[in-house]
Amino acid sequence: MSYPASNDRAAGTFAMAGTTIRRTAVIGWRFLAIGTGLSLFLSLVLLAAGKTSATFLTTFPLELPFFATLGSMGGLMTFTSDRTKGVFEYLIAYGLRPRTLFADGLLATASMSAIILGLSLTVGLGAAVSRGVAFTVDFWQTIAFYTVPMSFAGGLFISTVGMIWSSVSTPRTGINSPIGIAPMLGIAPSLLVFIVAEAAPKMYFYYITSGAAVAIIVAVVGLLALSARLMGRERFLSPL
Amino acid sequence: MSAFPGPLPASNEPTGAPASHRIELQGVSSGYHGRKVLEGISFVVEEPAIYVVLGPNGAGKTTLFRTLAGILEPYTGTVRIDGIDIGREESRTRLQYLSHIDGIPDGLRVDEALRFYATVEGVGPAEVDRVVQLLGIEELRPKFFSELSQGQKKRVSIARVFLQERAIYLLDEPTSNLDPKLAREIRDLVLRLSQNHLVLYSSHNLFEAKEIGKYVLAIRDGKLGYFGLLSELRPAKYVIGIRAEGAEGILSPASKKGDYYLQELSGPEEVPRLVQELIAKGVQIREVKEMENPLEDLFT
Repeated sequence: MSYPASNDRAAGTFAMAGTTIRRTAVIGWRFLAIGTGLSLFLSLVLLAAGKTSATFLTTFPLELPFFATLGSMGGLMTFTSDRTKGVFEYLIAYGLRPRTLFADGLLATASMSAIILGLSLTVGLGAAVSRGVAFTVDFWQTIAFYTVPMSFAGGLFISTVGMIWSSVSTPRTGINSPIGIAPMLGIAPSLLVFIVAEAAPKMYFYYITSGAAVAIIVAVVGLLALSARLMGRERFLSPL
Repeated sequence: MSAFPGPLPASNEPTGAPASHRIELQGVSSGYHGRKVLEGISFVVEEPAIYVVLGPNGAGKTTLFRTLAGILEPYTGTVRIDGIDIGREESRTRLQYLSHIDGIPDGLRVDEALRFYATVEGVGPAEVDRVVQLLGIEELRPKFFSELSQGQKKRVSIARVFLQERAIYLLDEPTSNLDPKLAREIRDLVLRLSQNHLVLYSSHNLFEAKEIGKYVLAIRDGKLGYFGLLSELRPAKYVIGIRAEGAEGILSPASKKGDYYLQELSGPEEVPRLVQELIAKGVQIREVKEMENPLEDLFT
């Protein structure tokens, strides 16, 4: 009798991530559609209503992280669903570690953020170009130091908190559940960073935004490391 | 012979002397969130056979399976599979586990779900085709898992167990939610499997347990109440039912339960004598059956 070698299983784990991302797009399609739709809609409204391109240049980079975070909720939904349906029980029996399950959920979340960000940037910037908007250095810097990092950091942060929260509590549905509350909590970091960065002198704006994104990612990694170490495997079992 | 349309994989067919495998538990305590459900469980299993795990609800059967599968880490004691500690990944590759929960991911069709697990197992799509044939679920492949009946879901869940051959099969209530015909097919499949694999099988159905089990592991209040050959179990009372004609005046009508006259004997060795006596008295015996299942005593 032959047994699967660990490199086969590692390949299986890697391939599983692809399936999880695809499932997340199916399970969280409403969030994905709302996040992308709202982002595109607001971008086009800004371009249509703005008397000058300044409105677009200052508002467009700031709104994207909110919608990217909102649209990435599918990652958390998939994690919670898998736990409740007993999928994790099988995966752990196959030898997967809790940190792999967390990482899989975060990868799915980041993928959803990437889809929304990619679509919104492509369509929004394309539309701006067609309207003759002249992009400034400030605009590109805001995209690079605030929009992109905060779009990922916001989703990853709330997914991590949500995954830990749902793992230590009895799964519930509805608005009073990790998934129900996550979208509201998820935009908090982006909003907070934006308010602080705006209130600070202009010269500190990019330091604050990019520093906050790094801090959030570090917090995500720290939380994951800690929870994977401290949480018993029974936290991943279905209560059914 | 199994009624399944497809054969077991060639490697699963009983051939020659079975390879030697071993499950060993030494003083295992296990549970959830620090609360012990199992306490001081020790046993060794190494003969290919079906080991029926019995116990009332809440006794710890599922916890035992989860501990054996490496899902729960024992608080104390050791679990070894072929001498390898269950904490090591290498030991998991010898086990195949069926939970009482379906464990099929949301948002997938049956075919996709099986491919998902095939991916995790590191096996190819040919294995998916094989288990689909084995369990006769071809028509379910394009359906979403959520659209299936409980019995169909169970079949898909069982199919996953056969994606890859393992030495040890941990089957937690594999026939729950199945109609009698399908339950019979699953039992036949498991019986064939047990000829050269270790199979731990939990069930609430005592007649099923008696039919397929060679050994019994009875869990009671988290402790191992009994471990031994099922054939050595004797009920506290040995009662047979006799369905017969012309027994009026010979067998007491007060002992009648339905069509059967109940007779309490000291053991099965008394049955031939009683039957001969009744025949000699002109009683036409249609059927004799044991009315008490010795496994029932393990639940009391």
